[in-house]
Amino acid sequence: MSPSPPLVAQLVWLLPLYGFSGMLLSLPWASGLIKREGPRPAAYLNLIVTLVAVLHGSLLLREVLLHGALHIDFPWFQAADLDLRIGFDLSVTNLAALEFVTGMSLLGQVFALGYLDKEWSLARFYALVGFFEGAMAGVVLSSNLFLSFFLLEMLTLSTYLLVGFWYAQPLVVTAARDAFLTKRVGDVMLLMGLVGLSAAAGSLEFDDLYAWGGSLERAGAVGTLAPTLLGLGLIAGPMGKCAQFPMHLWLDEAMEGPNPASILRNSAVVTCGALVLLKVMPLLRISPLALVVLVVVGAVSALGGALVALAQVDLKRAFSYGTTSYLGLVFLAIALQQPAVALLLLFAHGLAKALIFMSVGSIIATTNCQDITELGGLAGRMPATTSAYLVAAAGLTGLLPLGCFWCFTPLVQAFMASQPLLAFVVLLTNGLTAVNLVRVYRQVFLDQPHPKTRRTPEVNWLMALPMVSLTVVVLLTPAVFARLALLPGLDALDPLAAALVLASGAGGVAVGLMLPLQRFSARSAQPTLRWFQDLLANDFYTAQLYRNTIVAFVAAVAQTVERFDQVVVSGLARRLGTASLASAESLRFGVSGQLQSYVLTAVVALVLLLSGLVWIHG
Amino acid sequence: MTLSLLLLIPALGALLLLLLPAGLPPQRGRVFTLVVLALQLMWSLRVLLAFDPTQGGLQLQESVTWVGLIGLDYRLGIDGLSLPLVLLNSALTLVAALCTRDLSQRPRLYFALLMLISAAVNGAFLADNLLLFFLFYELELIPLWLLIAVWGGAGRAVAATKFLIFTAVSGFLILGSFLGLAFTTGSVDFSISPLLAGSLPLASQLTLLLPLLIGFGIKIPLVPFHTWLPDAHTQASTPVSVLLAGVLLKLGTYGLLRFGLGLFPEAWAVLAPWLAGWAALSVLYGSLAAIAQRDMKRMVAFSSVGHMGYVLLAAAAATPISLLGAVFQMVSHGVISALLFLLVGIVYRKTGTRDLEVLRGLLNPERGLPYTGTLMILGVMASAGLPGMAGFISEFLIFRGSITPFPVATLVSMVGSALTAVYFLLLVNRAFFGRLAITPPQDARLDALLDVRLAPVALRETVPATALAIAVVAIGLLPAGLGHLSEAASQVMALDLLPGGAG
Repeated sequence: MSPSPPLVAQLVWLLPLYGFSGMLLSLPWASGLIKREGPRPAAYLNLIVTLVAVLHGSLLLREVLLHGALHIDFPWFQAADLDLRIGFDLSVTNLAALEFVTGMSLLGQVFALGYLDKEWSLARFYALVGFFEGAMAGVVLSSNLFLSFFLLEMLTLSTYLLVGFWYAQPLVVTAARDAFLTKRVGDVMLLMGLVGLSAAAGSLEFDDLYAWGGSLERAGAVGTLAPTLLGLGLIAGPMGKCAQFPMHLWLDEAMEGPNPASILRNSAVVTCGALVLLKVMPLLRISPLALVVLVVVGAVSALGGALVALAQVDLKRAFSYGTTSYLGLVFLAIALQQPAVALLLLFAHGLAKALIFMSVGSIIATTNCQDITELGGLAGRMPATTSAYLVAAAGLTGLLPLGCFWCFTPLVQAFMASQPLLAFVVLLTNGLTAVNLVRVYRQVFLDQPHPKTRRTPEVNWLMALPMVSLTVVVLLTPAVFARLALLPGLDALDPLAAALVLASGAGGVAVGLMLPLQRFSARSAQPTLRWFQDLLANDFYTAQLYRNTIVAFVAAVAQTVERFDQVVVSGLARRLGTASLASAESLRFGVSGQLQSYVLTAVVALVLLLSGLVWIHG
Repeated sequence: MTLSLLLLIPALGALLLLLLPAGLPPQRGRVFTLVVLALQLMWSLRVLLAFDPTQGGLQLQESVTWVGLIGLDYRLGIDGLSLPLVLLNSALTLVAALCTRDLSQRPRLYFALLMLISAAVNGAFLADNLLLFFLFYELELIPLWLLIAVWGGAGRAVAATKFLIFTAVSGFLILGSFLGLAFTTGSVDFSISPLLAGSLPLASQLTLLLPLLIGFGIKIPLVPFHTWLPDAHTQASTPVSVLLAGVLLKLGTYGLLRFGLGLFPEAWAVLAPWLAGWAALSVLYGSLAAIAQRDMKRMVAFSSVGHMGYVLLAAAAATPISLLGAVFQMVSHGVISALLFLLVGIVYRKTGTRDLEVLRGLLNPERGLPYTGTLMILGVMASAGLPGMAGFISEFLIFRGSITPFPVATLVSMVGSALTAVYFLLLVNRAFFGRLAITPPQDARLDALLDVRLAPVALRETVPATALAIAVVAIGLLPAGLGHLSEAASQVMALDLLPGGAG
């Protein structure tokens, strides 16, 4: 670290504050203090601060690319052996993630200006997005686990508030609740890990933690109870954040929230969660069990998410399960110590997924419908939306040499020799995703127009501009990767792996083309097929499972405690109270009133007491 | 005189208010009280400035021999443990007086009692003599009993009596322990010092510590002695609930730290694993019982039971960090629960009910209580330990300090922290989200007919609530100030427990 870092780096603490200040700036409009101008100024202010954040970030990125990584931190709280700091690691990876997050936020906010055109609480939306962005910007830069946790929890809170944006609708209420509680369960486990690590390792800086983990490895303490539990705690937080099985439920329900927030959630937020996991990855070696869990969770999420997505008829949900699926692949990559591929996949997926959600948002804004069986024939009517969908789909599948192809191939290559089964999982996920994308494309864009899609003009420029820009970005993803020297290069690619990825993608497209379309009813007429379809459409009945097990259990225990409290504890107290009141009652009849009796008893007691004390003294 | 004024200002204020001519308009009495309490708050800030945070022991001491014969000396002192609590007391009494609505019944007596409680609580926090502490501890009891019994809700008589009996028993147990100490050591030196009990054999230390634990356990309250608290809260008016949860419960935890840990360190170390288990039980029990509540106020009251359990856990661990966390938790629970009770009070007054099965959609921006709802979300999130607010840093410090000596109890308590999110989220989701209505949901026809329109909330209530919310966020974002204030004291109080004890 140079003695005095340049000004842009010294001001790094501003980066998360841009988003938070956007929230504060929106408050006068969000709270209704200013009503006359309407809520638009809040949106413009937020756009400006986000733009500043993007510019600041790119200046920093340039600085770091020229002069190398920096570490900057500030003291926050010290007591005894505890030293909590606000620390930022300005590495190329972190800053690229920052640019990704703030850039997505900028595009999403412009998109929201069009999408939420007539929303009366637009200012509140922007205040929440500002909060969201600030927390994300902090998470990606943070250099210690404490700050990461701090901001991840803020993300949990802002997710809750954003999902609950339309809080008057009943489905939104349950969705917000589930989003908060699921993530909170993961967060509390992460907090357990954090507290344990803080006590065991002393410092929470990632670098110190790696060193501590290394010393543990050398001491041969790997896999004992405490490190195993710590490792499990560390992966639980990102599992909730990235909507992995079995904590994936919230992401699907969260689709009840406004679409611009869904864009951010499916691209940027899950990326933040995975980045935290990426940062603790070297530490996970102390807990082999955690790595096994990571592999299992990743594989189940990848395949389960891809399968469940196939049976969804809701336009947004069909793709939100894809997020679970792709993040599962990221988890696999992290579990098998492939950080570079994991990172590439995160960016490639994030960009393409954001684009597909913009395309979906355009459709919903134009047709006011998100049931794919009621949509059709949009391809000729909405050219920008259609091309965005196609590009995003190409970016998501390993078929054309866009983003994800360059991620899947090295992933398959890495797994092929040692873990052929996992390589198969990757290929199958790729194929299933292709099936899903083609299925939705045929249904929504190709089929003949339905009543709801007869008059569907292209969206206004506020939505089209970010969508088209992002289309270009997704098309350029491989070039950007190559520019940042993140790609291995064509010659390093194993032709067999590449061929397998291509074949799985092509196979998926073929199956997707042959699949019969569901025109009127979403359910199949054939009983066996219908059973499978229902199973997938209902997400393996996970929600019901939770309702009947964990939720029912906690509710039953709570009721039992409450009854115990009423009957036993309160009852006992009442009986004792009645007894003492009865004696007071008799005293009242004996003497002349309750107060007097109390005074009398007190005086007698006092006299006895004083004489006793005097006796000791003397 | 610096510390004595903290007692004298409210006490003289109470006396003066009672002496003022009876024909005085009630509004004047309120203004007078506010002036006195503002003076008290300013004087507490003056004490804060005079306080030297680098010292761990008592400071600014005052000593007057009062009744030397029985060892009752008027001795005051302040340290990093009591100073935050004194500030909390001054601030919350002011809040309670501010948010009091116009009383039809004996307003002068009400405000005088409020000031008297404040004086007594300050006295208890500052007392450097066991008997003096006990006097102040009892002095606060009767005014509070009257505040519940006279100005409470419909079932106030039973609740007030329950409160009186429980707290009186608590007082007797504490006095018994203090006197027992005098009898066993054979001296009437009632100064607070571990040397006092240090000469005693462990068995007598344990015998003296146990009644103390139960006595303060009633006051805190810990399971199973908590049953008076939900009843008292449901019947008390909003300002009294604010005081009760925000300040008076802290007398219990303060006593636990100052006298339990301070007087009997050896016996404490022996009992510590049991205390940690008790704390975990209390946390779980309080949180689970809170989930089952329908009455918002009872729910907040049970959350207090859970959250005060953390303080016992921290006290049991008795490491510097956990004790610092205990101070943080006392302050943040004081501020957060005061905020929550204030907001629940607003809801109750505007809608006439606190039933979670009846209320919904209060966040409605035009006809509901949007600002109250926003602060409520902030308050419950703070209580659930979301970072950036006061609850998080307190819980983090407690867990971080306690996990080494008592890993299991700490982890169980952290589950309680997750449960806090469950019940408070249920509260917000049921009462504030959804479509605005104040009818049982099954009555759909009435539901559609009713056009609920709630009157805007008076400044008298929103201003103190906003101030409390700002304090919650300020402590959460900048905890270093409070940490600096109390760190030396928590280092002095800390015990060297061997790590790896059962828990």
